[in-house]
Amino acid sequence: MSTPALILLLVLVGALTYLYRYAMIGLFASRNLPAWLHALCRHIAPASFAALTASALFVAGGEVHFAVDSARPWAALVAVLVAWRTRNVLATIGAGMAALHLFKLVF
Amino acid sequence: MAGSGTSAGAEFLAGCRDEAPLLLGVAPFGMIYGIAALSAGVPAWLAQLASAVVFAGAAQLVIVQMLAAGAGFLPIALTSGLLNLRHVLYSASMAEYVRHLPRRWRLLLAYVLTDEAYAVAVLRYQRREAATPPHGESGASRNTASTQPVDNAAHADLRHWYFLGAGFTLWAGWQLSTAAGLLFGATIPAAWELDFAVPLTFIALLTLLLRERAGQAAALVAALGALAFAALPYKLGLVAAILLGLAAGAWTVHRLERAR
Repeated sequence: MSTPALILLLVLVGALTYLYRYAMIGLFASRNLPAWLHALCRHIAPASFAALTASALFVAGGEVHFAVDSARPWAALVAVLVAWRTRNVLATIGAGMAALHLFKLVF
Repeated sequence: MAGSGTSAGAEFLAGCRDEAPLLLGVAPFGMIYGIAALSAGVPAWLAQLASAVVFAGAAQLVIVQMLAAGAGFLPIALTSGLLNLRHVLYSASMAEYVRHLPRRWRLLLAYVLTDEAYAVAVLRYQRREAATPPHGESGASRNTASTQPVDNAAHADLRHWYFLGAGFTLWAGWQLSTAAGLLFGATIPAAWELDFAVPLTFIALLTLLLRERAGQAAALVAALGALAFAALPYKLGLVAAILLGLAAGAWTVHRLERAR
């Protein structure tokens, strides 16, 4: 993406984010949040992170690859196990990075 | 924790102090963002500017991850725009506390209404409410308040200064950790593959978020969707996958409610 396009994108996302933050304390301060929006918001983060993780691990150049001889998916599996056992973000990132470099020695 | 709110400055500093421990958790994300932005080809000045303009860690990580994967303008805008929608929830939750403030205050506080500032500030508002009945607490820190009940009652509500202090502290920490990541990132060999820290961050956050059945369904369907729609151009498949995940989450909620 060209730099001008990237600037436009960042300003757009920034403006939108600011509007979200100002919405209920400024624009619609006298109204309540609709129930459907409340329900929708709960699932946005899990859906986004899951889609991005799956894509980062198994999609390259518009194609799906389940490469068993690639370090990243295995390192991600270690990270999932550590995340599940410790529920600690930094431990997960640390273990995942360490596993990546260990698996790179193997593959 | 917080002081008894005798002045605007004291409230501001109390907000700074209570927010400070959260910076330990925020700083690594700022650094990972800075490093990943550089490896995605974002100019350093623009990556730093984004931390001030967007000022939302998860969305910034999503943007650089998608840029690195070659996603187009629209998919990135839609995905990060959707992800940040949760800030409407914080805004709604804060509304009752800041509604009475002048517009310029609300415009300012909206800018610092991030996940971490919200978490600290909302506790302050709830704590004060719980402590409102006189003589409700016996702690030494409340002595000033209980010996001057008239002053306390007549005192203007200065908790927005606390909110601002918390928000400002997080803002400064986010800018500094971004800068550190950009400085550090420029010297790190690509062989370290630190860009992989971004999906690892998503995995860690995802694990914390998956407490309920509907969220799990949303995540599973979105992940499968991301693979099923991988061939769509500009990574539009990610947007489709997230929307499908949201539908799956809503459907699961609906089904669970009917089963009860």
